[in-house]
Amino acid sequence: MFRHIFINRLKCIIRDKVLIFWTLVFSLILATLFGMAFTNISSSENFSSIDVAVINNDAYQKNEDFRKFLKAVSEGEGKLFNIIAATKDEAEKLLDDNKIAGYIIGGPQTELVVKKSGFKQSIIKSALDGYSQTVTTLTAIIKNNPAALQNGLLEDAGGTWEYTEAVPLGTTDKPDTTVNYFYSLIAMACFYGAFIGMKEITDTQANLSKRAARLNVAPVHKLKVLTAGLLAGYVILVMEILILLAYLIFVIKVDFGKQTGYILMTCFMGCAAGITFGAFIGAAVKKGEGVKTAVLIGSTMAASFLAGMMSGGSSNIKYLVAKDIPVLAYINPITLITDALYALYYYDTHTRFFININLLSGFTILFCLLTYLIIRRRRYASI
Amino acid sequence: MVVSVNNLVKRYGDLVATDHLSFEVKEGEIFGLLGPNGSGKTTAINCILSLLAYDKGEINIFDKPMAPDEYGIKKDIGVIMQDVAVFDELTVYENIDYFCGLYISDKATRKGLVEEAIEFVGINDFRRFYPKKLSGGLLRRLNIACGIAHKPKLIILDEPTVAVDPQSRNNILDGIKKLNNEGATIIYTSHYMEEVEQLCSKIVIMDKGKIIAAGTKEELMAMIKLGERITAEIFNLSADNLKKIERLPNVNSIKYDEKNLFIKYSKGRHNLNTLLDFFRDNEITYGRVYSEQPTLNDVFLEITGKELRD
Repeated sequence: MFRHIFINRLKCIIRDKVLIFWTLVFSLILATLFGMAFTNISSSENFSSIDVAVINNDAYQKNEDFRKFLKAVSEGEGKLFNIIAATKDEAEKLLDDNKIAGYIIGGPQTELVVKKSGFKQSIIKSALDGYSQTVTTLTAIIKNNPAALQNGLLEDAGGTWEYTEAVPLGTTDKPDTTVNYFYSLIAMACFYGAFIGMKEITDTQANLSKRAARLNVAPVHKLKVLTAGLLAGYVILVMEILILLAYLIFVIKVDFGKQTGYILMTCFMGCAAGITFGAFIGAAVKKGEGVKTAVLIGSTMAASFLAGMMSGGSSNIKYLVAKDIPVLAYINPITLITDALYALYYYDTHTRFFININLLSGFTILFCLLTYLIIRRRRYASI
Repeated sequence: MVVSVNNLVKRYGDLVATDHLSFEVKEGEIFGLLGPNGSGKTTAINCILSLLAYDKGEINIFDKPMAPDEYGIKKDIGVIMQDVAVFDELTVYENIDYFCGLYISDKATRKGLVEEAIEFVGINDFRRFYPKKLSGGLLRRLNIACGIAHKPKLIILDEPTVAVDPQSRNNILDGIKKLNNEGATIIYTSHYMEEVEQLCSKIVIMDKGKIIAAGTKEELMAMIKLGERITAEIFNLSADNLKKIERLPNVNSIKYDEKNLFIKYSKGRHNLNTLLDFFRDNEITYGRVYSEQPTLNDVFLEITGKELRD
């Protein structure tokens, strides 16, 4: 009997085009729009090597140290410059055509020729100044203390010493602040499962639909019907969230870090909270289906806004809520989902993650209990 | 006794929907609940099915007190609701299979029953259709199939022919007779007196939550004074002749509108012959003349002073 109801509820939910639009297609559309909007934001923050020419004259060829210096800063993954060896005429032309930020003339006094001052030009100048200062300092030391050469002065001066350790934030090598928007989107998608929860209640309560009245006269316990329906809804919602996650990761190329298991756990909990929330609203709001839907959309969108989904500095909203009304952050299930994912991304420990997950579990149990208390009556006052 | 309702009272605030309602339905009967919209028929049915909480009274089905968790009783009941109650997302076959599956667990048995129900209501050509693609009449037939597929002993039909085309209506009424012939006890609610007259072996007439008359069709007719109604098409009828007609045997009341003469008779015989003899003897020219036997509407009119469809 349970299997029979479960399978038929699966069919009913999958074939409900409006429901599938709101719980899956709408999220995919938003994901696509977010992806398009945020692609350039991330790339604008990346550093790209500066194109610079060096005049390939006798002085440059004879100055081996300078050539080594330029080679060192124009090689490897994080190289500063793309060095182009050119004649002066070629360099002038490249500069006029804005193909290079400037060109360097080697010699006793290194010169930098630029067309305008700017960020790139400042970087070239800073690098050349650093080189000149090092050469001057070494020359002065050797002049006053020639023995320093035997004590490894050149090795010390030529080596690169890092006094500050670079620690990658969270679980990803390249932290990206735009993932917050996608966290909110996932949380919203989980909570749009509330429509499924509401549908199940509507199809179970005799005072809400004629179909439910027919079910209520059948020799089957109402809670069995509801449980099978909610389980079917949960399975479909989880599938939809997995599709959304796959779309975000493989198509939109969002990097969610390396804690896939915990991310899935968050989504599963979010789906449960979303469906039970919908069931609760469906049972608690004593108005028609239109009013119930309006309450669901309104509450979900408001909660998403407070969780930081909307653009125009909405991330500040999440921060403001956490700072000024922290209790609101703890009672907003969408914030809890968003924050659980955020904690996975930015923190090495799972303390904050599990606080969010536990609160989410608490809300799911609360919604279940409240729904049960409302629908447990055996007869209706009116239908 | 299949159904026994004793002193059923159901109130919606100040409105008394069923006012000390009592009746019994015997095995094999087609029991009609007749009454205008708002008379309390559907409320009574919902109370019988334990969907509605009621203020007072006792309801027994198959000689056991009915309750929401009386699954042993529920398994032998089939319900056809006033509004079509099917899932838009399931096909005709899947809808019947789903509702039948709430009563019959065995898949093979269920398959046979579903096929039988589809054949019974005549929607075999539409088995793969979704409900939204069906006409109103076909939807009603699907609604019935969903309620009877599990072969219940008691079938409750709440206004199953509302907004149905004549062909589907006849199909539905024939089907109900067939179900009854196969052994099912039927409770049929309607505000269409013709259907109840045609179908039901026992009739209860309701108004404002109360039973105003009950019995077989013949017993109900016997309760009223009206025996026959004759209408004659006459264009020139003098006041003198009108007075003479009023004095004919069994004439209860007459009305003339310069075109038609309406005569109501109390119970008696040969009224039409007497009237035609009078026309001939007094050289009154007449057109069409027809006689009607009293209907349940006349019963309702005489008892309540208003038409059944008011």
